[in-house]
Amino acid sequence: MKRRDFIRKSATVTVASGALFSMGSWSPLMASGHRLASPFDLVAIKNGDPIAMFDAGIAVLGGMKTFVKANQTVVVKPNIGWDSPPERAANTNPDVVGRIVKHCLDAGAKKVMVFDNTCDEWTRCYKNSGIEKAVKDNGGQMVTGKTEGHYHEVDIPKGVVLKKTKVHELILESDVFINVPVIKNHGGATMSLTMKNLMGVVWDRGYYHKNDLHQCIADFTTFKKPDLNVVDGFRAMMRNGPRGVSVADVSEKKYQLISRDMVAIDTAATKIFGMEPERVAHIGLAEKLGSGTTNLDSLNIKRISI
Amino acid sequence: MNNQKWLRPARLVLGIIFLAGFILLFSDIKAKLPTGIYTFFTSTQFLPSILKLFTAHTLISAFFIFIILLTLFSGRVYCSVFCPLGIMQDTIAFFHRLLPFKRKRRKFKKALNYLRYPILGLFIVSMLFIGFYSINLLDPYANFGRIAGNLYQPVFIFLNNLMANILASMGIHSIQPIAMKLFTPPTFIAALSMFLLILLMVIYRDRLYCNTVCPVGTILGLLSRISYLKIRIIKHSCTQCGNCQTACKANCINIKEMSVDVSRCISCFNCITSCEDSSIGLVRLKSEKMAVSSASDKSKREFIKAGMLFLGAAPLIAHANNEDEDHDGGHHSRHRFHGRGPISPPGSRSIEQLKEHCIGCQLCISACPSKVLQPAFLDYGFMGMMFPKMDNKAGFCNYECTKCSEVCPTGAIQKITKKEKETVQIGTVQFRQHLCIVESEGTACGSCSEHCPTQAVKMVPYKDDLTIPEVDPDICVGCGACEYACPVEDPHVAIYVYPNEVHQVAQRPVIEELEVEETEDFPF
Repeated sequence: MKRRDFIRKSATVTVASGALFSMGSWSPLMASGHRLASPFDLVAIKNGDPIAMFDAGIAVLGGMKTFVKANQTVVVKPNIGWDSPPERAANTNPDVVGRIVKHCLDAGAKKVMVFDNTCDEWTRCYKNSGIEKAVKDNGGQMVTGKTEGHYHEVDIPKGVVLKKTKVHELILESDVFINVPVIKNHGGATMSLTMKNLMGVVWDRGYYHKNDLHQCIADFTTFKKPDLNVVDGFRAMMRNGPRGVSVADVSEKKYQLISRDMVAIDTAATKIFGMEPERVAHIGLAEKLGSGTTNLDSLNIKRISI
Repeated sequence: MNNQKWLRPARLVLGIIFLAGFILLFSDIKAKLPTGIYTFFTSTQFLPSILKLFTAHTLISAFFIFIILLTLFSGRVYCSVFCPLGIMQDTIAFFHRLLPFKRKRRKFKKALNYLRYPILGLFIVSMLFIGFYSINLLDPYANFGRIAGNLYQPVFIFLNNLMANILASMGIHSIQPIAMKLFTPPTFIAALSMFLLILLMVIYRDRLYCNTVCPVGTILGLLSRISYLKIRIIKHSCTQCGNCQTACKANCINIKEMSVDVSRCISCFNCITSCEDSSIGLVRLKSEKMAVSSASDKSKREFIKAGMLFLGAAPLIAHANNEDEDHDGGHHSRHRFHGRGPISPPGSRSIEQLKEHCIGCQLCISACPSKVLQPAFLDYGFMGMMFPKMDNKAGFCNYECTKCSEVCPTGAIQKITKKEKETVQIGTVQFRQHLCIVESEGTACGSCSEHCPTQAVKMVPYKDDLTIPEVDPDICVGCGACEYACPVEDPHVAIYVYPNEVHQVAQRPVIEELEVEETEDFPF
């Protein structure tokens, strides 16, 4: 009898929680509206290891406490798309992901969760990217991005092409959203940076590819802006991206960028990569939609060389 | 007689270990089990290990010789200790007995020889003339595999996901839900009907399946007729209480005549435990005073010996036959696969090789982390209905993964290293530019190239700032990632893999030095 009760109860919990998730109407209004308390719009750090660069960069922004308050939940979205080791730079550097997790927990976060809707088989991606270990070692949790039930449809009223899409519930529910891409060349999207990385929080990527990839990438920036973007430029994949063929595709740039403005940070990252930002269509399209500025001269940039 | 009461508990322990082990293999939903565990369990299987002899040429694959020797020594221990399908039947019987129905007492029943020998005969004949893959239908391990993979594994996935959901609703993400296996009706129906057949036979008469349908059971049964140790009733101390007859799962003890049909005895040793007078047990041939060797018995024995020789030679002949066919029939098979035939997994070397050695246990399909391996329907022909094929709609082959080649018990998919796999070409990429988004819509895509591990699909400059795929089939391994990722649906995908019936060697991509301009200062 007891066991039966348990099963019945647990089934109720499951059904109820599923219903709860699907009933809520998610809108951009629910996104937390942090404002950068620091005088800098963009922090660029170079010549250090990923951990030292993040420590130095977040310090000039007043530390992680500026973004994460006590008892808040945090979702970190690195690029974990590929079954590929850190030195191939197909995924975000595990050290910087681990460090961000640590800073969040030190700032009092209740929990820090990390996920990606991977391209290769997800358990292998989590493991071989080194990110799973880095996150767990620093007290964070890995969550799968491969369960469709975790994604809920949202409206994107300002989207030109992408009007609706299913977004992972961690992005919708968490108090703080930190976006951590790696600098990569991309065969289709020209560059893979903060905006392209957000394709990993939606379920149906095929829709993007079918319906003007660049416009869809730009459209999604009007739905939700991360509270913080950290671009890992320690290693950059210079060609054959986004998966890469060998370590020969990788150049050690030793850069890191931190900003809330996805357009600005992607503009800066494209320059670090060595390309004119005008050639990356989604950067310009996102600026047109009011998601940020490509005019770096208008911004207050802090440059740190370690 | 020495006390042999320890035999049953020992058999139980080993049996439970093996059944649990096999269920674990087919429910390794998180791909956590090391390859050694797979090898350990699967190498004990009789027919797979015979097949493995032809593909692996190692001693570990010769476990069937041990099974033959074991059977010649003490009877069909295999059926109660190593065979997962057999132990599964015991488990079903165990739970059946817990149900509050009145069950008939077990009695001696005559062997259904008019069924079991013709079935074995058909099995051997079809093996000789149709090919090895007739094993597919009747091998007990293959049947267990299909039952476990199609019926048990979904239950494990469901339980895992239930737990994951409960924990997640409490904010704990320590268990991750996993996607349910693709539902393939033909395989599911095949597995389910086999399970129901066995279930009914167990309810009707315990191990009836093993002594009527199972070719391995019949082969080992013939061997056990001449085994060194046999279960026998000691006539001078037997009180004919009938306990042993009631305990016998094979209905092979005749208490009236105090005889045991050893060809059906599956060495469960229940009779030994049940006997209060220690009047039944394993007895050596020499001390077997009761056995009167009549003329007819002798001729029967001759027949059996001849049969055994034939049986031993059958796989060899079958193998030789198939190899002959390869030489003159190669070009015929090409016609059969006009259009798009199946793509066989890396390590299988060719479709013919796979068809010759696969028994359709589907362990590879259960173990495949990316779900690209799916059971074939008629792709390999009728007899290859359960074999694995690459289904690029369901997934794509992970470049770094060699799981299926590590778990295959017969060597139908031969073990390959990651390094070797990098140049195994199971098919080649074909691009239909007029269907491609970049040409038809004039917008960027690159989904195919994005997934390509060797850049056999490379994005090259097209109009304006757009890029379009360019393919290099020489360096393509045929993983199917491009096909899987292609967003075009109507009427076909714009990029797909054309199968190599015989796997080829892919060239390695040429890796050029990267030229990067180093800048000292921030570029902004």
